[in-house]
Amino acid sequence: MLQKRILIVDDEPAIQLLYNEEFTDEGYTVETAFNGEAALAAFSASPPDLVILDINMPGINGIEVLRRMKEQCPDLPIVLNSAYQQFKQDLGAWASDAYVVKSYDMDELKDTVRKLLT
Amino acid sequence: MPELRKDPILGRWIIIAQERGKRPTDFYVDVSTKSKGGFCPLCPGNEKTTPPEVLAYGRNNGQANTPGWTLRVVPNKFPALVIEGNLDKEAEGLYDRMNGIGAHEVIIDTPHHDASFTHLPPQDLQLTFMAFQDRIRDLSRDIRFNYVVVFKNYGSAAGASLEHSHSQLIALPVLPRMITSELEGCLSYFCYKDRCIYCDIIRQELQQDIRLVCQNEHFVTLTPFAPRSPFELWILPRQHSSSYIDMPDSWLPSLSRIFSETLRRLDSCIKDIPYNFLLHTQPLRTGPLEHYHWHFEIVPKLTSIAGFEWGTGFYINPMPPELSCSYLKEVQL
Repeated sequence: MLQKRILIVDDEPAIQLLYNEEFTDEGYTVETAFNGEAALAAFSASPPDLVILDINMPGINGIEVLRRMKEQCPDLPIVLNSAYQQFKQDLGAWASDAYVVKSYDMDELKDTVRKLLT
Repeated sequence: MPELRKDPILGRWIIIAQERGKRPTDFYVDVSTKSKGGFCPLCPGNEKTTPPEVLAYGRNNGQANTPGWTLRVVPNKFPALVIEGNLDKEAEGLYDRMNGIGAHEVIIDTPHHDASFTHLPPQDLQLTFMAFQDRIRDLSRDIRFNYVVVFKNYGSAAGASLEHSHSQLIALPVLPRMITSELEGCLSYFCYKDRCIYCDIIRQELQQDIRLVCQNEHFVTLTPFAPRSPFELWILPRQHSSSYIDMPDSWLPSLSRIFSETLRRLDSCIKDIPYNFLLHTQPLRTGPLEHYHWHFEIVPKLTSIAGFEWGTGFYINPMPPELSCSYLKEVQL
């Protein structure tokens, strides 16, 4: 069976590395992008099955990336993943399918991804 | 010479530090809006991206959460306070705490993505003011709530993160400090003079006509004596009334008309001026109050709050309200 592809968008190399290992272990194919522009380019080249998207990034922020991706592909599951709760107050975040606050305990993020991909 | 002015209700001091020759066009307004274009979760057709609606107008028996609405109210998708559960109030020594119970809802004022609240026709604004009443009435049935805060952030500088016009409300188990201070100030005046302070303010402002921006059969708009910001505006019912939800339906058209006129005057003075408005009304669990008077406060976001304001509670306002008022009145609509 073809593995589901996840695009991880985060400007923090340690997070990219951690998520890459964890989600590869979960059986997904993982791609990474280090900012909004790179994420949109990767998305345009080949839309993934799910996107995990940081919000606070240099250049185009995650909420803007979310809106642009959803405009082209409304059914693509996108999980916002930020260290901050306060971006939940940004109604632009409503376009996402889930909002998970970053934590070293990755169970919530993994469960969310699993649910959205089944 | 700067002038210190005291708010007669809150006792708050304001410094009016007029800058010589300052005109409305001299204020810097950041008109950049976040998230221009792209997918909008509030637009018709995207109803599935919001939680199920709690109120919708205009769909004429159509199915819930589908297009065809003229106004829609939905719970916040990512609420700061949750609706399910008990308050479980408890004390830890001298400290009090309770569960974060509350309701946070978004009122989508119009189905049209690019429509600006300022330029909506009064009959469309009326739907928003009706929705405020309907939702407060409904939430007041929940005995856990004591107050419903109704507000709008207009423009990104005022905290609006989506350009699609929307208002918000938050039902709280406790009274906001601003409201308790206002109630205390009003009661203190009432105990002394046996009159509602807002009724007295309206009477004096109508007489003096130096801070009165516009009026109609049921409402007045004025620039308050001690405003926090240039062009701060209050919209008050002429007749004494402490509760917004007790406003008769027959007043809604005049409320919408004066709101529309007020916002258009403001916009004509400073294009795309960012602002917040907040409904001030009595708490949910009290009967009609002789000393309190519901009203809307519109506070433009033209000045920034810095250390002095945070530390002292003083606001520095570079434009006296009499001058703001004269600019607002000069506008030809």
